[in-house]
Amino acid sequence: MAHVHEITIWTRGVVKDKEGRDVANGLARAADREGKFTQAFDNYVDLPDRVNVPLRKYARISDADIEMKYDYENEKPEVVVVVDATIVKGIDVLRGVERGGLLVVNTDRAPKEILKFIPNGSALKAIACVDASRIAGSSTVDFSGTEGGVDAVGLGSGIAAPLLGAVARTTGLVKLESLAAVVKNKRALQQGYESVVIEALS
Amino acid sequence: MFDIPQERAVPFGCATPAPVGEQPMMITGNWREYRPVIDHEKCNLCMNCVVFCPDACWQLDEAEEEVVWNAKYCKGCLVCVTECSHDALGKAYELDFPDGVVRLEKPF
Repeated sequence: MAHVHEITIWTRGVVKDKEGRDVANGLARAADREGKFTQAFDNYVDLPDRVNVPLRKYARISDADIEMKYDYENEKPEVVVVVDATIVKGIDVLRGVERGGLLVVNTDRAPKEILKFIPNGSALKAIACVDASRIAGSSTVDFSGTEGGVDAVGLGSGIAAPLLGAVARTTGLVKLESLAAVVKNKRALQQGYESVVIEALS
Repeated sequence: MFDIPQERAVPFGCATPAPVGEQPMMITGNWREYRPVIDHEKCNLCMNCVVFCPDACWQLDEAEEEVVWNAKYCKGCLVCVTECSHDALGKAYELDFPDGVVRLEKPF
């Protein structure tokens, strides 16, 4: 079985639920356009979500058919995206991450300040910070597109767009062009790609 | 008829004891993005924050004669800031403080 890239997204219930879902779906759809095999789904354990509770979204990208169809959690994520920076104080976001993992955080703070709150940061290859909230202006509060429903709002109209740009630059899992084809706010996507601060760790 | 050990016996009417003090099964401190900060100089102990807090995170410390905040359960709804009668409460971003880390294994 080919290697499956696992991406876990930590977000906050209701208020940033759509943003987290957009990051997972955006990565999966962009990789799908490049001919990869993909999955994107919510975490059943965290549901039903309530306002501000930390919850997870998952994406998987692989060159071959993904056989882990009935695993509803990413056991060993190699990329962790944190949609709201304050989550690092409430949850061990790096659980399951093995050596060489990547962390992308939506914050206006420097990577060093975020690392202070991450006790097991030694496993990371790099940490990336992007001020997605400022770039996008506001986050979308909508349940459009949940549980297989039609997404009427559109993918990546809020802070998910700059975050996707930052993830593309940090991880190289998907190309910026394929993301631009699926994301609504292309200006924010480009800005996120350009303005992300990446700090390499040993 | 049955020999039930004392510690496993269910009280009459199946009433089980409520948690005294804090409920360790439902820690909500990791929901918080902004925390309330109190200026004790301005506070006149009107008790609005104690009354309005949905999770009883503001309690009166009678010995010190001031209200104290519980970081473990405050989920940052900031109703106390809205209800404060003397502008003694303000909000501050959570990442500005090294304390108040409630690192749970499960989201909630």
